[in-house]
Amino acid sequence: MIGYIIRRLLMMIVTLFAIITLTFFLMHAVPGGPFTSEKQVLPEIQAALDAKYHLNDPIWLQYFNYLKGIAVLDLGPSFKYPGLTVNEMIVEGLPVTMKTGVLALLCVVALGVPLGIVAALFRNKWPDTLVMVFATIGVAIPSYVVATVTLYIFALRLGWVPTFGLDDWRGFILPVLALSGFWLAFIARLSRSSLLETLNEDYMTTAKAKGLHPMQVLFKHGLRNSLIPIVTVLGPVVANLLTGSFVIEQIFALPGIGRHFVLSITNRDYTTIMGITIFYAAFLMVMIFIVDMIYLALDPRIKLGKASS
Amino acid sequence: MTITAAHTSEPILSVKNLSTSFFSDRGEVKAVRGVSFDVYPGEILGIVGESGSGKSITCMSVLRLLKANGRVLDGSAVFEGKDLTTLPSRQMRALRGNDISMIFQDPMTSLNPTLTVGEQIIETIRAHRQVSRADAAKRAIELFDLVKIPSPSKRLKSYPHEFSGGMRQRVMIAMALSCDPKLLVADEPTTALDVTIQRQVLQLLKELQSRLGMAVILITHDLGVIAEVTDRILVMYGGMVMETGRVADLFESPRHPYTQGLLKSIPDLSSGEHQRLSPIPGSPPDMLHPPAGCPFAPRCTHAMGICTEAVPQLYCAGDTPVLRAGQAARCWLHHADAPEVPEVNAREHEGAA
Ligand SMILES: Nc1ncnc2c1ncn2[C@@H]1O[C@H](COP(=O)(O)OP(=O)(O)OP(=O)(O)O)[C@@H](O)[C@H]1O
Ligand code: SF4
Ligand SMILES: [Mg+2]
Repeated sequence: MIGYIIRRLLMMIVTLFAIITLTFFLMHAVPGGPFTSEKQVLPEIQAALDAKYHLNDPIWLQYFNYLKGIAVLDLGPSFKYPGLTVNEMIVEGLPVTMKTGVLALLCVVALGVPLGIVAALFRNKWPDTLVMVFATIGVAIPSYVVATVTLYIFALRLGWVPTFGLDDWRGFILPVLALSGFWLAFIARLSRSSLLETLNEDYMTTAKAKGLHPMQVLFKHGLRNSLIPIVTVLGPVVANLLTGSFVIEQIFALPGIGRHFVLSITNRDYTTIMGITIFYAAFLMVMIFIVDMIYLALDPRIKLGKASS
Repeated sequence: MTITAAHTSEPILSVKNLSTSFFSDRGEVKAVRGVSFDVYPGEILGIVGESGSGKSITCMSVLRLLKANGRVLDGSAVFEGKDLTTLPSRQMRALRGNDISMIFQDPMTSLNPTLTVGEQIIETIRAHRQVSRADAAKRAIELFDLVKIPSPSKRLKSYPHEFSGGMRQRVMIAMALSCDPKLLVADEPTTALDVTIQRQVLQLLKELQSRLGMAVILITHDLGVIAEVTDRILVMYGGMVMETGRVADLFESPRHPYTQGLLKSIPDLSSGEHQRLSPIPGSPPDMLHPPAGCPFAPRCTHAMGICTEAVPQLYCAGDTPVLRAGQAARCWLHHADAPEVPEVNAREHEGAA
């Protein structure tokens, strides 16, 4: 087990290194630079800028310096906003992104799974129908449509929630709803079908035949097994919430990392693009690692590699 | 009707006129249609019949373990004076796994893959006995010893996938025996196992049965198994009992064309080889639309006009001389006006073997 974790961590470092290298060289292969903007820049200023950011150094040296920075968790300065580092931009945007992200993930799991369970237990009765109607709508409508429509109705028309910003808790409602809607519906459907499948398993009959209490049969024998497929999709769900946050932060004008990221792309802010990409990659790898650990704890049939035993 | 065998004691389980249907999109599947039988303390009752004849559903109805779309429509199942079909669910729960326990065909899917086998046994014991986890674990080790699982205390911590098929079925048996049941229902306990393992598991079951003195209902396809371990048998077809009686009587002097067909499909019984039934020509009835008459009529070489019109009654020992004590057969040929078909209803055949 310990061996497996160590191997996983080493693999994560190798993967991250590959991602850093790839983003770095891709970034430098893209034509145009951060300072080749629409505005005409005097050649002297251009040269000064290039010198300031070491853009005239050989590329391997730039790469090496960049790696050195990352080793001490320094993602370098922003090209677009002098005096602002990428680290500072991430630290500034992180609370907003994390709050909406965690709330959305909570919605997905803490609402989606119970809704699916209720639907499965009341199969073909009205609670099931109700959940499935909402789940079908949720899966069918893209998040940006949810965002704009709810913004129009609840913020503009009814004025129940602010149109933008996060001055109080109500500001979170629409972004979290738009961000989590699809996955909430998706997880509700998955939980339902997964539990229905589990309820049909032979070992559920065995559990009942042993004289266990129905609650014990459902929670101890049923739920744990039906959670396994849900945990497997949790990694991709987190990744999708992350990419979803780019759009949602943009629509609701939330000062999160996603907004910085989208802006940095239009600004050709190289270091910011690279920095946030690498930050996201590292974050995702950690999340997937955690998900795999949960998976491992849930399903004893998963065999770890030989090295661990 | 009750089929009285040469039993002095009261039956431990008495099933009367049990009828169970499933309600699906396609209509009502009449899986069990008026099944009656008794199980006496300490005996092994075998239930045989082709796939879909209603063997499992009969037992699942008794234990009230039917899937949500299944319903017992009629009949009773009296266990120690209590009718299980109307027993409050709390009392039913107290009975399951305790007084009546069950083992299933496929030990691979019948054990929960995410819990250790020890946990699965311990929770059974603790559902019925007020004992600590430690004491329940001790009992589980004893049970593993009983079913001959090597190094029991270590194996308790293993997961089902870490056992072979035969060992898994031993785990199931240990679990079923954990609360000293008075009746064990074994639904094809060896069908999913290798032939050599089948024999071992069967031997174990037989040995435990005589040691612990419980009654057993053994569902099987395998007439070899029936011959070897059971005392009496129930031959089922199309959701009904076709013939019943003591094993020796049914093997020597079967009095129902279906039983005869089953027995003929075994090449040599004396060799004791386990043989799956090679099917009688034709296929079992569709239980969505069961035939109005004898369910076996379309495949029966002796079928008469009446056979397709009305279901025959179960003729008992007193009704016709060819049936021995405790034997009963559901066939029109035992009617007083039926033509003579020597192998089924002729007097001369009695006691021939
Ligand atoms: N959940 C269900 N829904 C609809 N029909 C069912 C259901 N379960 C069983 N049946 C039907 O009930 C009938 C009897 O099934 P049962 O399982 O008792 O057969 P069996 O004699 O045990 O056969 P096998 O030897 O294959 O186990 C079959 O026709 C089967 O298709
Ligand atoms: S009742 Fe008729 S069809 Fe049925 S087994 Fe007897 S003879 Fe054959
Ligand atoms: Mg069956």
